[in-house]
Amino acid sequence: MFERNQKTIFVLDHTRYFSISSEQYISMDYLKGKPVQETPASGSSSMVVGTQLSKSLWTCAVESSIEYCRIVWDLFPGKKHVRFIVSDTAAHIVNTWSPSTQNMSHVSNAMMMVSVPSRSIPQSSDYSVIHGLRAAIEALAEPTDEQLLATQVGCKQIPNKGRVICITSARDNTSMKSLEDIFNTVLLQQNALVAPPSKKGLQIDHCHLVILNIVPLGVESLVTNRNLLEISPLLDVEIHTVNAPDISDKLLHLIMGHYDLASTTVTNIPMKEEQNANSSANYDVEILHERAAHTRVCGPDFTLTTSIKPGTTYETVTLKWCTPRGCGSSDLQPCVGQYNVTPVDVTSRPSSCLINFLLNGRSVLLEVPRKTGTKTTSHMLSARGGEIFVHSLSIARSAMDEAPSISDGPGGRVSDYRIPELGQLFKMSRMVPLKTKPKGKCSQGEHLWRRLPRYFPRTTNVTILFNLQRQLNWLPHFLHLIVKEDMDKQDEVRCQQQIHELYKSASRGDMLPFNTTNNARPKVGKTKDQYRLFYRELEQLIQLNAQTPHHKNLLESLQSLRAAYGDVSSKLDPGASHLRSYTESPLSPERLEPTSSASNSSSSILKASKRRMSSSGQRSLLDMISIAERSQSNKRLDFSGRLCTPLGQTAKLYPDFGNKEKDILTPGVVTSNLKDESIRS
Amino acid sequence: MPTIIALDVSLSMLRPVPGRNDHTYQSLALKGIQLLLDNLTAAGKLEHLALVLYTTVCELKVDFTRDYDQIRQAIKKIEPVDKACLMTMLKTSVSLMATWGTQNLLQLVVFTDCGAGFGSTSIAGFLEAYAGKEAEPEYAWLKTLATYNLNFICLGVHCDSYFTRGLTLHQQLLDAASLKGQLFMTKPAKSAEPGDATSAGSHKSELGRTALFELIERLCESSYKSTEVTLKCGRYFRMEGQVLLWPPPVPYEQAALYGGDPTIRHIDQRIDVCGFLALSDIGSPATLSRHWVLAKVEREKPTRRSGGLAAVAKPPKLTLDTNNPHYELEKLEQDIRDFYMKDTKDAEESGDDADVTVVLKHSSTPQAEQQKDNLCVLLHGALKLENMAALVLLGEKWYGFMYAYTDVKKKSNFMLNILPPGSNVIPWLGDLEFLGFPEDLAPGETASFPVRAERRSYSQSSVVWIRQASLQSDVQKVLRHAKKMPDKTQHFYKELNRIRRAALALGFVELLEALALLLEKETAQLTLNGVTTECTLQLQHAATELRKTSNRDIKSTIVPLQKASAADATAAAAPAQGGYLY
Repeated sequence: MFERNQKTIFVLDHTRYFSISSEQYISMDYLKGKPVQETPASGSSSMVVGTQLSKSLWTCAVESSIEYCRIVWDLFPGKKHVRFIVSDTAAHIVNTWSPSTQNMSHVSNAMMMVSVPSRSIPQSSDYSVIHGLRAAIEALAEPTDEQLLATQVGCKQIPNKGRVICITSARDNTSMKSLEDIFNTVLLQQNALVAPPSKKGLQIDHCHLVILNIVPLGVESLVTNRNLLEISPLLDVEIHTVNAPDISDKLLHLIMGHYDLASTTVTNIPMKEEQNANSSANYDVEILHERAAHTRVCGPDFTLTTSIKPGTTYETVTLKWCTPRGCGSSDLQPCVGQYNVTPVDVTSRPSSCLINFLLNGRSVLLEVPRKTGTKTTSHMLSARGGEIFVHSLSIARSAMDEAPSISDGPGGRVSDYRIPELGQLFKMSRMVPLKTKPKGKCSQGEHLWRRLPRYFPRTTNVTILFNLQRQLNWLPHFLHLIVKEDMDKQDEVRCQQQIHELYKSASRGDMLPFNTTNNARPKVGKTKDQYRLFYRELEQLIQLNAQTPHHKNLLESLQSLRAAYGDVSSKLDPGASHLRSYTESPLSPERLEPTSSASNSSSSILKASKRRMSSSGQRSLLDMISIAERSQSNKRLDFSGRLCTPLGQTAKLYPDFGNKEKDILTPGVVTSNLKDESIRS
Repeated sequence: MPTIIALDVSLSMLRPVPGRNDHTYQSLALKGIQLLLDNLTAAGKLEHLALVLYTTVCELKVDFTRDYDQIRQAIKKIEPVDKACLMTMLKTSVSLMATWGTQNLLQLVVFTDCGAGFGSTSIAGFLEAYAGKEAEPEYAWLKTLATYNLNFICLGVHCDSYFTRGLTLHQQLLDAASLKGQLFMTKPAKSAEPGDATSAGSHKSELGRTALFELIERLCESSYKSTEVTLKCGRYFRMEGQVLLWPPPVPYEQAALYGGDPTIRHIDQRIDVCGFLALSDIGSPATLSRHWVLAKVEREKPTRRSGGLAAVAKPPKLTLDTNNPHYELEKLEQDIRDFYMKDTKDAEESGDDADVTVVLKHSSTPQAEQQKDNLCVLLHGALKLENMAALVLLGEKWYGFMYAYTDVKKKSNFMLNILPPGSNVIPWLGDLEFLGFPEDLAPGETASFPVRAERRSYSQSSVVWIRQASLQSDVQKVLRHAKKMPDKTQHFYKELNRIRRAALALGFVELLEALALLLEKETAQLTLNGVTTECTLQLQHAATELRKTSNRDIKSTIVPLQKASAADATAAAAPAQGGYLY
């Protein structure tokens, strides 16, 4: 993780020599628009001076080193660090390893204060690049935030390598040699300081010193170029002599190796001309990115064709722009790597055209011409969050090609999945980026569980409740109340009312309003089944959501309702033990002993209900009502019928009493009776 | 996992297996290939297979296909050629596999009697030549081969020294070229009593159909097993289920953070859904691998003895286990299902229970599997409907996302993309551990994707004057605005200050002077042409300000000359200044 390129330090020579002109003149003549003769004669002498200007060596050094770190920070945001040290009579630290100073605006603001070296200062030995080199070695020994983090987690041996790029101007090889020697000595001294007992900073494992010896255009240097040379186990040095105007090119070549970058030229980009909006011409834009963006794509049989642009010595891969089909970002592409990119020439018009196109949210596929003539899209350019990435796409054949469709697989022929409902839930559980980790100690998966329902039948043919939501307009709200984690008294009362209403309509023998069957009217027995299943499902739903005492109360009333309706099967099965955990609390009434219902445990629901129907005539309606009333009054909660009546009025019991045939109302008498006795015993 | 099935068709394969007169090595090998095909068919015909026959030459009989019948047909007409040359086959395989790139796990299944080969083409000959020349380009293909998974089905008996010698050489080859390989062979016969040496040839050898069957089983178990995990989406038991991931995820070798040995990571046995994201928010991030998420179905393995027994043993009706914690819910589901079914039946006026049981009886056949509701299909449907993906946690700080993927042929599938381990792997989504739900936001806070990065050089108006043209166009821009003052006064000063700041940062003071001169020249021209005084006054003002050394400070900004009153003031001052000059 701590490679050599994670720390780079520019040492800029700020001695008097750097104030001289680079001798490359920039013409400003073309700006006048009109021949010189027409301007007043008085200005003509100054005109020649004014329309020709040249950068100083200092300006060349600053602009090229800033360009270097522009590329680094664009491509490796927050990962690779670059520092600047200006050296004259002393070393001036421009920025630190801290992320807040690792950006272009900090550096250029600081450089504003440094400014070009003054021409008037006397040539003196106090002015030297040595100060800066010393400071650079100290800076290498300072830990970056990542290295600090590593020490904090207890890493003993933190790799600490770095690179120093020194832009200076030396008289001859001898002075260059002494520069190297001094650097090497200071490096050793610094490492000695790091050793115990003083323990100052980090041990420097290795340093790569790049010396750029710059001279004005047309000046011969006595310093000879030299490739990488190992000076000591700690230090490698290379020396390049460059004309000041070419220093940016030199650094561009060097950065490719320093960060293992590659260049891609996007070709055939159609761009509207400013003057003539109807026509478009094709342009090329060169971008830089990690080399891996190319190598990841290529299999053994496949190489991207490279070429060398005039004026450069590095290779660039040419990829052709594919006219984007749709707007917006492309579909999910099989991407094997994504890398930040930056244009080589950030200010040119073609570059900014391409950049703006991407930043506006459109993505571009890039294709590589294959030998056979067929074309393959190997990369995609897209911008997200204001950053532009190149995506390396998988171009090899995939084992997942020609997939059998999921509809041919298991469960593929089922047509009544509750897909729209689940989709709705997904939409409600869309994630957003937070500033901190979401609260709570639970894992992210568990965090989601809170939001997803505890009861969610997969298909519509295994649920009664959810199929009636559209027909029973009170149902959706009722279900919403029931699943509320923080159900309060008021919610409970509402639910109790609904349960009561349901009981009433069951008593009336109303059909549940299914809309599925084509006017097939189920028989009377069918109606009972409907309600029985409705109750059972509702009970399961409440049971799965039982969080509060209110839920528990609801569960109890529902259970007594089920009992009253002649469906007590729940007490017979293992689910009952589940149930007990909810009902067994100091406030709840005595638990129903399973033995109480043992009398009819043997028969199935259907049989039991048949039997009950046949024996229904023996009990009067009054008996049943009084029993039901007594069982209700035993509970803490007021009788639900009273709750629906406005205050001050007398609650009417069973308003539908006598309306319907007895045989619908009567079942369940036996069981409710039993239950009642068990409570009293 | 694209696989090349390589069959040794050398003459030695025609030898009868000792003690088994009904079998030659070749007939056993063919039997083995059929068994392998049976196994892979039962597993869903997902693997791409190719068939290669090799001797001194290597011939591609069937190119990669999921249509296994092609291979079944091809192995019906096999003719022995001459001697085996393993190296030729391996080298050919590398070029055959090339179309698959590096994203797939590639496999080789070699059916051979482990002949050592002869002369220069023998394994021994190769090992001799290879020693010490590992890095040479002529052996570069071995590096590619090393990423494959090689399986050798070694047909032979351990009392045969020809076979054991070959085995040793095969193993040596794997070791020397550091290939990932496994030799599948039968166990040596137990009854090898010392005094019974003479009977070695006579008793029934350890290699036969049963032994071969076991070899293939072992092969499938080790190399063709889908990864089975539990997918959990919420608390309800129906929203949780066993799923298969195909192709199986490859263990990830994670480099140690601060040096040290890398760790091998596997995905967890349980995959939790953490939440949902719009596919358009996810974009196309780099993924380690892609997998189909398939419903796990209890399939009958094609056992050799698979008679009617297994089928009969299957319960005809879906029975519910009362000890199942979800018994109550499952029972309810079944009852409701029955209720609806009766409903429709009532409508059709055919009151008979027979239909129900008939449907249930088929629950073990593939058709019935399609009729049984399945979590994968449900999730796939909902994600497809909403164009969303489910973010899933695969391990500690290791994420993936599941989504509905529709290929060019409009066939849709449930897909898992495994991201590289770490929570900060998709820059535009931010730290994945920091993803939550809108309820987690502080009151008044809003959040949406993408997570914006710091501004890069290309998204701010950077000034780079390395090329002369860019400097010239910046200066031109100022002058263009200058001509259009007072309309463009604000633009003019904005551009002017931008240039001025950049020039100061670069120590390019020469430019300030040059710019001042240009502005003055422009003023002179405009005055000649009789353009408004407002314009010339501003230009003159700007030129003066550019020259002031007090304006070389980081904080200073050149502001427009205040109009009416200020203009009068300078107009009044100008003659005075002029007076100084003359």
